[in-house]
Amino acid sequence: MSFIQPLAIQQSLRLFRHELRRGELTIIFLAIVLAVATVFSLTSFSAQIKTALVDESSSFIGADRVLQTSRVLPKEIIDYSQRLQLNMAQQVLMASMVFAHDEMQLVSLRAVSALYPLKGQLLIKQGENNIHALHAPPRGEVWLAKKLFQSLAVKLQDNIEIGDAYFTITGIIEQIPDASFSVFTSGPSVIINIADLEKTKLIQPASRVTYKYLFAGKPENIDKFEKWLTPQLNDTQRWYDIKSSQSQLASALNRAEKFLSLASLLGIILAAVAVAVAARRYGQRHQSSVAVFKAMGASRQYIKQVYLFHWFILVTLSLLTGLIIGYVIQLIGLWAMADYLSTSSQTFSFYSLFAAVFTGIICALAFAFEPLQTLIRTSPLKVIRENDSPINRYSLLKQIPALAALFILLWFFSQDLYTSMVLFFGGIVVITLLLLLARLAMLFSKQVGSQAGQALQLALANLRRRANENSVQLVSFTIAIKLLLLLLVIKSELINDWQAQLPDNTANRFLINISPEQVNHLKHFIVENKLAASKAYPVVPGRLVAINEEKIQRKVTKENEDKSNQGRQGIGRELNLTWQKKLPIKNQIIAGEWWQENTDKFLVSVEEKLAKRLAIKIGDKLTFQLGADIFTVTVANLRKVNWQSLQPNFYMIFSPNVLAEFPATYIASLYIPAEKEQQFRLFLSQYPTITLLDVDAMLRQLRTVISQVSLAIEFILVLVVLAGSLVLVAQVQATMDERQRELAILRTLGAKGRLLRNSILYEFLALGALAGLLASLAMEVSLYFLQTQLFEMSPRFHGEFWLIAIASGSVFVGFMGMLSCWKLINKTALYHQI
Amino acid sequence: MVEELANSINKNIVLQVNHVTKQVKLDDKSLTILHGIDLEVNKGETLAIVGSSGSGKTTLLSLLAGLDLPSSGEIFLKQQPLHLFDEEQRSQVRAKYVGFIFQQFLLINSLTALENIMVPAELAQIKQARSLALKLLADVGLSERGDHFPSQLSGGEQQRVAIARAFITQPDILFADEPTGNLDSKTGEHITDLLFQLNQQFGTTLVLVTHDQKLAQRCQRIIEMDSGNLMRDSAINHLTSNLA
Ligand SMILES: Nc1ncnc2c1ncn2[C@@H]1O[C@H](COP(=O)(O)OP(=O)(O)OP(=O)(O)O)[C@@H](O)[C@H]1O
Ligand SMILES: [Mg+2]
Repeated sequence: MSFIQPLAIQQSLRLFRHELRRGELTIIFLAIVLAVATVFSLTSFSAQIKTALVDESSSFIGADRVLQTSRVLPKEIIDYSQRLQLNMAQQVLMASMVFAHDEMQLVSLRAVSALYPLKGQLLIKQGENNIHALHAPPRGEVWLAKKLFQSLAVKLQDNIEIGDAYFTITGIIEQIPDASFSVFTSGPSVIINIADLEKTKLIQPASRVTYKYLFAGKPENIDKFEKWLTPQLNDTQRWYDIKSSQSQLASALNRAEKFLSLASLLGIILAAVAVAVAARRYGQRHQSSVAVFKAMGASRQYIKQVYLFHWFILVTLSLLTGLIIGYVIQLIGLWAMADYLSTSSQTFSFYSLFAAVFTGIICALAFAFEPLQTLIRTSPLKVIRENDSPINRYSLLKQIPALAALFILLWFFSQDLYTSMVLFFGGIVVITLLLLLARLAMLFSKQVGSQAGQALQLALANLRRRANENSVQLVSFTIAIKLLLLLLVIKSELINDWQAQLPDNTANRFLINISPEQVNHLKHFIVENKLAASKAYPVVPGRLVAINEEKIQRKVTKENEDKSNQGRQGIGRELNLTWQKKLPIKNQIIAGEWWQENTDKFLVSVEEKLAKRLAIKIGDKLTFQLGADIFTVTVANLRKVNWQSLQPNFYMIFSPNVLAEFPATYIASLYIPAEKEQQFRLFLSQYPTITLLDVDAMLRQLRTVISQVSLAIEFILVLVVLAGSLVLVAQVQATMDERQRELAILRTLGAKGRLLRNSILYEFLALGALAGLLASLAMEVSLYFLQTQLFEMSPRFHGEFWLIAIASGSVFVGFMGMLSCWKLINKTALYHQI
Repeated sequence: MVEELANSINKNIVLQVNHVTKQVKLDDKSLTILHGIDLEVNKGETLAIVGSSGSGKTTLLSLLAGLDLPSSGEIFLKQQPLHLFDEEQRSQVRAKYVGFIFQQFLLINSLTALENIMVPAELAQIKQARSLALKLLADVGLSERGDHFPSQLSGGEQQRVAIARAFITQPDILFADEPTGNLDSKTGEHITDLLFQLNQQFGTTLVLVTHDQKLAQRCQRIIEMDSGNLMRDSAINHLTSNLA
């Protein structure tokens, strides 16, 4: 029965050739091409961007993964990492004294192994214009932070003493990739080879030492290692990558990654919708041909073969074209970003190829299933009565293959059943609501219409008469606009958020150890040079010894040995205490109240996370020890601190007169633009006791990463916008087919061209504006969920985007509508179509 | 049964219609378009169906050609019981015996004039479809326009293509719904000539629906319809026939 008839295939090819040339297949062709190209380029591009970003950012921890512990790692762990061919570097960190002649200084000592750093660059200056990215220093040599040369009064090739061993100074540290950004590190850095550590005899049973094991290697091996390792870790060990490192970059990266995934997913959905719309139109457009074939005596078998084969060549051709275009788009994208991003040389991924072909086939099968079935079943009676078969019914049952396909795509690309369910059923609910809203809006237009001009009346009457189809159109317009809007808003918010965190005048220098007399000089310098600077915060080192009379020494110490985070290491030993009249900027009270500026009570404001860890509540009495003095304060409030803001931050802030009697030094952060660099150095040279912390390099790197992410996001947005526009175009075209005959009749009856044109223009403008409005509404709702659940941003209302959506919706849809029906209206031989 | 057998024996009858009715559902009401039609058409006969607009001519024609099924009654075309056949079988009958010219000269938009003409021949697996089509194209005076698509042809030209298409299989019976309806009188006459030529040469049975008195007069037999009823069936002018 199902043997292939060569004549059917021949007919199919004939139809295909003509229709392709006559542009009748353009939209469906483009839809599939775009779906495939979008998937192909999005999956491979975003995967590459992600890898490249993480790769790049990993230099901030000097490796792909770090295991931080307080003891030496068992050999079997190292062995296993070697079996997986991972690179491993070791770092031992401790505070120590160094001596040179008569000078001595507390430093933060890093003993590093040969491969350190695995990622990023350790920049060492070994002479004028002689800066190199190096690994560990040779045995017996030491590299020092720049400021140590001053405080120890040494120069290159001098000897210094660390513990029991002597070292020759051979380099100046310019940049440490995984330098801690904590303002209160125990001192300037000193780097020696790990092999020399033993002879210093610094490691004693009681000494506080941090071991960092750095790992890097092929992602799959790293993953394998991670799966094997993490179950065996105990509380004193911390395993992290750049994204969990709690650095400034981590949250930016996480958000960017989520955005890229979301954008790709939405792009794919849009492309799929475009295929669905275009496939429906494909089916409808061929119905009259099928009817004629059947009236001429064609069997169903013949029709089946003609159109299945027709569809098959169409899909194959578009699939191949889509793959090629997708590959090219991706190449262009990577090429455009090449200056910013060091992507891997591997530009072709089989996963993307598979994903794209899979998507193309799913779309082609599932979305065409119902239209093709209807097409093949077309009654030959259609040659006599055009509207005979009720093809315009939207029965949900018939849409099951399409819906199933959409779900499969969601699941396939999100790799997350829960998310897919939420998106899918959420989507269905939204669409149902939109359909209802659309119907309501159409009804409402009746009232408006009665007061309108002739063209507008005709337009509104048209809208109402086709309320059912129009609702469907409206919904697809709405969805397309909504998804675009959503991405646009998230994109701009993300980027704004990042830029807000790192404005141009973000502090790039920290000054520590400023004496009270120097504060005024500094202020003077700041004013004179019009610099952006934080205020100078007084700092008094002190120790928290009791909470509500209960000694907490042990509690805190134990806590400290836990997987403690950077910046929290001060707790348990000394904390940097400060006092303030007013709540510092970028701090936020989350419980209790800030004190009166002139209060004479003994109050303290505690950082919320620390409070949580130590179970401190408002009203608790905290006892501190400063040198020999002991005093008790009451907790007045809990405070949220933005640790990512580059300004001095404190765990404990006291009310003004608690610490007033204690000798304090001051700390400040400021932004030194390049052109003020010279004056700044000059200024500092007068005050050798002030410690300078330079975070400029780190800031620059952070900015680069963020601009890369922004660029990648923009690029992907372009692809998604393309997909969205195609949905709109396909829908307008489909709409056009439906009204073609009717237009011809109106025209023949003598309706003026201008009247028709205006009525159509108004109709589409109204449709577009309505879609824009509904889209804004839907966008705002989805955005609320996305921002609170996924991106952890604070949601807000986006009035400006409502305007954009409504305006661009009506303009775009109106313009497309006009464009598609222009030819139609101006056709002279209109009776051809009647 | 006896009657059917009798019919099948009478080879001279191409089309036999017994008590055919057609009803359609409109909303909840049922509308009767044809009320019990009886008709016999002999081989080689030329028959005109006339009647006012909406009287059911096109509906009857669609039943006779097996495009649609009657609500009740029987239709035999070349002894094939169309009323018992499913769509597939009726398609086969059409491919084998029937030519059709529609009221709106429905050509396939994405096939050229020549390819449109070839469609029925290909469906009937006729080998020389192309050369036959070229010849017919010349017959209808469009040999220069074979590569043109329907949208590039005028109404009359499209109608001529449709007629060439109907001729290509040399069908036993040709149904034509207003073949000259949209044409000027000169072209109309030319088309009419073509139709009757076919009848003369191959003995094709012609069943024409027309408002055109002149065309109707050239037929051997005229039946008139009114609101779904056959009003008058006159076998007239057997001899005062046509053709130059
Ligand atoms: N599917 C249908 N649904 C509703 N009404 C129908 C349907 N098919 C036919 N009719 C009605 O049946 C009547 C006969 O239609 P038909 O097309 O057969 O008329 P006709 O004689 O060919 O007219 P004309 O000369 O104008 O072509 C008309 O009133 C038409 O509206
Ligand atoms: Mg008719």
